[in-house]
Amino acid sequence: MSRSPTPTAERHTEMRDETAGGAGAPADAWLRSNAGGGSVALRAAVALGLCGGVLLIVQAWLLARVVAGAVFHRLGPTVLAPELYGLLAVFAARAAVTALTQWAAFRAAATVKHGLRMRLLERLRTLGPLRLTGEHRGELANTLADGVEALEGYYARFLPQMALAVLVPAAILAVVYAQDWISGTVLLVTGPAIPFFMILIGKGAESLNRRQWRRLARLSAHFLDALQGLTTLKLFDASRREAEMVARLSEEYRRSTMAVLRIAFLSSLALEFLAVVSIALVAVLVGFRLLWGDLHFETGFLVLLLAPEFYLPLRTLGTHYHARMEAIGAAERIAAILETPVAPPVHTAPARRAPAPVAVHELRLERVRCRYDDGPWVLDDVSLTLKRGERIALVGPTGAGKSTLLHLLLGFLQPTEGRVSIDGTALEDLDPDEWRRAIAWVPQRPRLFHGTVRDNIRLADPGADAARVEAAARDAFADEFIRALPRGYDTLVGEGGRGLSGGETQRLALARAFLKDAPLVLMDEATASLDAHSEERIGRALQRLSAGRAVLTVAHRLATVREADRILVLDRGRIVESGTHRALAARDGLYRALLTAGLEGV
Amino acid sequence: MKTLLRLLSLYRPAWRWMAAGTLVALVVVLANVALMGVAGWFLAAMAAAGIAGATMNYFTPAAAIRAFAILRTGGRYLERLITHEATLRFLARLRVWFYTRIEPAAPAVLQPYRGGDLLSRIRADIDALDNFYLRTLQPAVVAAVGSVLACAFLALYDGRIAAIDLLLLALAGLGVPLLTGYLGRRPGARIVHTGAALRTAIVDTVAGMSELSVYGALPRQTERVGRLSRALIADQERMSRIAGLGAAGTMLAAQLAVWSTFVLGAGLLRAGALSGPQLPMLVLVAMASFEAVSDLPAGFQYLGHTLAAARRIFELADAPPAIADPPGPSPHPVDAGLELRGVRLRMEPSGPWVLDGIDLQIAAGRHLAVVGPSGAGKSTLAALLLRLREYQEGGVRLGGHDLRAYRAADARRLFGALTQDTHLFNTTIRENLRLAAPEADEAALRAALRAAAVEEEIMALPEGLDTYVGEGGLRLSGGQARRVALARVLLRSAPILLLDEPTEGLDMNTAAAVLDGVLEHARERTLILITHRLAGLARFDEIAVLEGGRILERGRHETLMARGGRYRRLHEVFSARPDAGG
Repeated sequence: MSRSPTPTAERHTEMRDETAGGAGAPADAWLRSNAGGGSVALRAAVALGLCGGVLLIVQAWLLARVVAGAVFHRLGPTVLAPELYGLLAVFAARAAVTALTQWAAFRAAATVKHGLRMRLLERLRTLGPLRLTGEHRGELANTLADGVEALEGYYARFLPQMALAVLVPAAILAVVYAQDWISGTVLLVTGPAIPFFMILIGKGAESLNRRQWRRLARLSAHFLDALQGLTTLKLFDASRREAEMVARLSEEYRRSTMAVLRIAFLSSLALEFLAVVSIALVAVLVGFRLLWGDLHFETGFLVLLLAPEFYLPLRTLGTHYHARMEAIGAAERIAAILETPVAPPVHTAPARRAPAPVAVHELRLERVRCRYDDGPWVLDDVSLTLKRGERIALVGPTGAGKSTLLHLLLGFLQPTEGRVSIDGTALEDLDPDEWRRAIAWVPQRPRLFHGTVRDNIRLADPGADAARVEAAARDAFADEFIRALPRGYDTLVGEGGRGLSGGETQRLALARAFLKDAPLVLMDEATASLDAHSEERIGRALQRLSAGRAVLTVAHRLATVREADRILVLDRGRIVESGTHRALAARDGLYRALLTAGLEGV
Repeated sequence: MKTLLRLLSLYRPAWRWMAAGTLVALVVVLANVALMGVAGWFLAAMAAAGIAGATMNYFTPAAAIRAFAILRTGGRYLERLITHEATLRFLARLRVWFYTRIEPAAPAVLQPYRGGDLLSRIRADIDALDNFYLRTLQPAVVAAVGSVLACAFLALYDGRIAAIDLLLLALAGLGVPLLTGYLGRRPGARIVHTGAALRTAIVDTVAGMSELSVYGALPRQTERVGRLSRALIADQERMSRIAGLGAAGTMLAAQLAVWSTFVLGAGLLRAGALSGPQLPMLVLVAMASFEAVSDLPAGFQYLGHTLAAARRIFELADAPPAIADPPGPSPHPVDAGLELRGVRLRMEPSGPWVLDGIDLQIAAGRHLAVVGPSGAGKSTLAALLLRLREYQEGGVRLGGHDLRAYRAADARRLFGALTQDTHLFNTTIRENLRLAAPEADEAALRAALRAAAVEEEIMALPEGLDTYVGEGGLRLSGGQARRVALARVLLRSAPILLLDEPTEGLDMNTAAAVLDGVLEHARERTLILITHRLAGLARFDEIAVLEGGRILERGRHETLMARGGRYRRLHEVFSARPDAGG
């Protein structure tokens, strides 16, 4: 089956393009609406952060008091002891609140992260394996692993800081206003100018930034491209040329980036300037009123202490901006997966679900037609009966519908028309998980899961003991190579583990099937040619596996079809021929054409 | 430490920029210290003058406040520009350095990195290295010098205040990060480990969904992902708590510095050793001095990452070249013939033989097909001839001379080679083709595409030859990408054509057309075709069946079919369309 609907990939690029132009607002909204699970912790983080802000004000007030007392009333530490101990207590409280704020914010992010990851996984399950084909498997896995992680900064830092950037300056402003309305006015006027400038310059800077980001990505991609193509470059005697290219591009990148940065940094210059100059302004204005006797030193000093803290939360928010950008990128990918429509419905959930038969005596397809969405018929009017103890081989050119037929039987796909039944019960009336319990499946390229050889064999039954696992391996002729592995049945395979050859992997998958001991065997023979040794073993193992079971094999090898009780020749979704090898080979039909094409070449 | 020094040496060409950037950063920090100090003094002095009804020169301090404010803001801007300049200069150099270092050892050294994921890790590692200056080196220097200067100022008034401040600065900048680094070591290592396990479990779930469903293992696998996700988060939480404690500790150190400065200062004031306005000045200087160490905790964190990345990068960069070139110039080949005698090759010193005694003669101008199952050693044979892999035993002669007498690049010049992992670069089709022949004109490019049976399809694209092929050629179909790569090889005027699976992924008709084009193109040249497709092999002078690193059978198609051996068995398959019409 080469047709695979890929709505995920399409939606993905769509969303990307949309946000490349806009400001990521839909993703922002999505992120907020998904804070659900972590909202309690999130509120706690904001409350604690506000608490920290209040403590900060108290600390500044106490400090101003003691300094004023010491400078203008020559009070010593003993007289000021209550305030000094009070300060120590505030220090301790602030430290505790700081640690707790971070922890609460992390909890918020953690809850969201775990929840989303599990929702994504559930989503992939309902989408079913047919939608998870091809190259975006890697992308999906990235989204579940790294994409979800990328949200942490948003929930743990950006979102709480968003609230604090409003609340803490407001609290400080209230205090400063109450003490000295002139300074308060300076803060009030310059304060909102910061977010205003941030938005104004930020808009321009954001697009500049994004362009720059893309340019960096391109440079980085070019470097990766050169590394990946290093062999090709060597073969074309072009590796030196490429080194010069890398140098030239990097140099160009430096020039263009610096040109952009000179402008882009002006925005932070403006912000910094605003904050620093208004602190200086407050200091000077306060100073003159102190000189004129309009203000107490204590008040003036408090205002001076609070002025920098007024701007700090806003500037901290700026440093978390990158976390937001990163999260938005990831959110788009996550939302795309969660919003992929599930079609066609894999499970129609009928009122009653019959338990699957323990033994499959007769599998029957009656006038089955199948297609994906509104595409052409992939299976067209297929009828067949497979009985227990019978072995059917399916042959046909690429794209004839062989894999679709297997997917249908595996329950990954439902017939658009017609009926599939097992011992008289319609397949759609069976619980798919129950039904699959009756199937042993050997795919074309079996997946080795991360774990030991033993765990891979007992995929169907994790409780199987060593004797059963080894018996299954012996039946599949896998025991011999497994014992030769450095750690035998405990050798780690799969991602990051030891690689097995195609023939070995096939035999391991056959051992899986033996251990499962299911009445129906579905096998998709490997198209890549295996070494003679493996091929012969696999043939014998399959013969063994067939005994007393119903077997349907998508066959690619003459040896396999020779063994079959019946051969079905599929072409463009239809069964065009059926019979034994001998009968079909004698007839001038597609079967013979396929056979001679193999034997004689074109 | 060695890694650190080596990393520093890579930075050497940009050192002037780096030094300038650090100096300006220092000025920015000190300007703030001065701003706060002067402002504190100014306020108290003005208030004192106001109470006393005295006059005072307020022009100088007010001007100083403005000056320091401007110095700080402008300095910050300059600092950003200069440090980025330094980093970008370093980045440019680093990439070229790494590329030229790794080139002689490729592809063997990158073999474990075949997957795109791991190559991306190299990229991430390289990116991590250019963080070193910005995140670690510069903050460290600024912290050290800034702290000392601020404390030196405090020491002008009182040694004890300066000593305590310095101590607390060290605690905030060194003690706390070292402690959190120590505490975070184990959860940190577990996070890396669990993160990798989680990713593997997720990849397994996505890629193995159908088998997991059929074998009823999906709930178990989902549970496993959930468990790993929770374990990862639990360790991240531990890390986050440690980080929170670190932040609290740093903050506490700064507050204690302010507090002790005040307590000691108040004593000095009463003793008359300090004037009134000097007390708020010292308190605020102590407070502002902590900005000097504020970037250090993050710097320590980055240092760990950076060093790990640097170690991996250096390890790759130090890989010995795959092939040692002879000292002298290469001999001139007399013809385009090849001869292998008893050649054995293995990937690792004690590994299994991948080629295990190969004997082959290919006279100039002859056409040989090498067939066999996957894993037989076919592609390794190609790598050997192309001097990408060194063989351990036996002899190879190319053009009448020992293969090892040639410099590897000179030997490769005799080949037009299509390997299995051949790469289409992320640029236009035209640029990809020109890699083989930079001066080729449009007609030549199109002729090559025609020979590869892809001209019509490419010219039918809206942008024709100027179509971007995308990352790894992904914007073309697999079959198109393969044929464009073949066209690129055919453009190269080399006496020997070595094609590894040129028809991979093509349907029968296209494959036949490609074979026609190749045979036509190779009429005057030596051709070695490696394939597992058996169609059309009757047109070759000789066929060699390779399996398990040995040649099992050799001969013409008819001879081998008649013999009924392995070659014939390979033919007994059903997989493709029988005829043109279907």
